[in-house]
Amino acid sequence: MKILNKNINYLIFLISLVFLTSCGSRVERLSSPLLTLSKQEPALSGSGQFLALIVDQNGRPTVQLRNLRSGKILPLRSLSRNQPHSSPSLSWNGRYLAVITQRFNRRQAIIKDRLTGRTFQLPIPGERVPIRLSLASDASQLAMQFSHKGKWKIEIFDISKNIEPDLPSGMRVSTPVQELNR
Amino acid sequence: MILRYFLNSRLLPIISLLLIGCSRIELKPIYKFNNILSQSNESLREPNLGKRWLAALVNNKGKERIELIDLRSRRIVFLPGINRSDAQPISVSVSANGEIIAFIRQREDKTELLVYRRNLGTIRRIEITPKGIPRRVSLDGSGKLLAVQVSRKGRWDVDLIRL
Repeated sequence: MKILNKNINYLIFLISLVFLTSCGSRVERLSSPLLTLSKQEPALSGSGQFLALIVDQNGRPTVQLRNLRSGKILPLRSLSRNQPHSSPSLSWNGRYLAVITQRFNRRQAIIKDRLTGRTFQLPIPGERVPIRLSLASDASQLAMQFSHKGKWKIEIFDISKNIEPDLPSGMRVSTPVQELNR
Repeated sequence: MILRYFLNSRLLPIISLLLIGCSRIELKPIYKFNNILSQSNESLREPNLGKRWLAALVNNKGKERIELIDLRSRRIVFLPGINRSDAQPISVSVSANGEIIAFIRQREDKTELLVYRRNLGTIRRIEITPKGIPRRVSLDGSGKLLAVQVSRKGRWDVDLIRL
């Protein structure tokens, strides 16, 4: 009986070892053009197909969007100015990109609709300065971090009145994904 | 003369706004959530929003912890084992269904990347290879792909890690 117990324990140990070694993580590093020195603030789309990040372009922190499936860097023409950029955030299919930019010495939050090409400015109530953004995966809500009386505060805003939802494919209303891969 | 008038006038920001095709959208505060977030005297930062979940770092008298708020029930979700008295969280990200939380914490001079599974209550440490110091993490909706900002040889890099 003791020998049987010992064998069962040995078997459990072997199975655990196989399980632990088989569920290791696979790491990929983003290839970088020679002039890009620094990559920061990664933000994945809900689908995992797109990655927004802040890259150093001639000393100016600039938002960049990559299609992880094709490996291509996608154009964001209207976001080539108003640096420094920070805190990018993407919706489920990468249709919407929220990011903080700088204009006339003032930090401002914007949302770029990659399907229509429109850029929306977010009028922030009061004299508050946005520090970080997070877009809900369906783009119906936006969470914003502010500095307020020496403390960090987070507020959630409903933006669904002006923004079409960006839902995973298969849902009733969804973004034509092929349009976003260009 | 006309050009100088326009350059000096207050119309300049509006004109430039029209030229770059930027329109404004209404930001409607969701008071039922914001009241919960502003109730305490604590400091909240690093928001990460899902459809139903908000993950954030909460600072109470200098001690930071990870918090997950269920926006549907407007309740703080109990996360046993995720916060330690000897560790300082730096970054947090939550999957679409709120089941998987990726986070970075500092403990005993080490900065670690970890993945917490709510249904199992387990924490798994993710190795970073080649070695580097993680700073910020982003999880995709399925919770199977991580993008991590890593400091390596004096520069910032981004690693993609499939779980």
